[in-house]
Amino acid sequence: MIHVYGIVDELDSLPPVEGVDGAALERRRVDALELVVSEVPRDEVTQEAVLRHAQVVEALMSRSRAVLPAQFSRPFAGDEELVSAVTAKASDLELRLQRVRGCVELGLRVVAPAPDSGPEAESGAEYLRARLDEERRRSQLVAEVDEPLARLAQETAGGAAGSNVFERAYLVRDEDASTFLDTVRELQAAHPELSLACTGPWPPYSFGAEAAK
Amino acid sequence: MSSDLRPDLRQQVTLLELVDRVLNKGVVLSGDITLSVADVDLVYIGLRVLLSSVATLEEQGMPVAIGDALR
Repeated sequence: MIHVYGIVDELDSLPPVEGVDGAALERRRVDALELVVSEVPRDEVTQEAVLRHAQVVEALMSRSRAVLPAQFSRPFAGDEELVSAVTAKASDLELRLQRVRGCVELGLRVVAPAPDSGPEAESGAEYLRARLDEERRRSQLVAEVDEPLARLAQETAGGAAGSNVFERAYLVRDEDASTFLDTVRELQAAHPELSLACTGPWPPYSFGAEAAK
Repeated sequence: MSSDLRPDLRQQVTLLELVDRVLNKGVVLSGDITLSVADVDLVYIGLRVLLSSVATLEEQGMPVAIGDALR
């Protein structure tokens, strides 16, 4: 069976890391696209395999112009199945590969303070009004954080993850990454009531989907 | 990343983000993404396992802090 790590653009050489289950990495060309794959003996999702996949993708990032990471999924039965799956999406994949070229993904998680229980509402209407105000304040806070960061990004993906958690991935050009991180720090300083967590730079995992907004 | 997070906690958050990306994001090539076992989302099983064993992974030199850019 064949496990796919990602689609690469101008990969120098295969990185000196092992694939899932210790297998050797291989380059595979399908149409105009180049994939990095390895043979896997079994169809199993383990912690070790997931981390190995991530490590390979990370290593590919530093050796190619662009990488479109593949989602960890059930391996392909054989070459034929792999080729037909990739061929069916080839033009879309090429387009996405171009879009992520020269970019990294930065993840942001904003946790807003949980709504305080506040004074007992006198009536149902008052309660609803208070809840609505709270909601508005929160979305305004999030917008204040998101907007300056989205301006630095080529694309964004994701959004609200819960009532007081906001999660978004930003596709940022390499040269803008440090400005992005500085901006996160400034926003955190300006909004001590929020908890901002920024992770990255990641390979552009969140920007493989055609519907990335 | 908030600087007041304990380093071990920060590492765990990064790891969660990593696993979330590998299992939930990325280009879908195979139509068959069977990542649940007995109707329990494997992502969460994975996360629990991961959280309990960050220290072990570190000992093995696995990249548990990939991309922790805001140190």
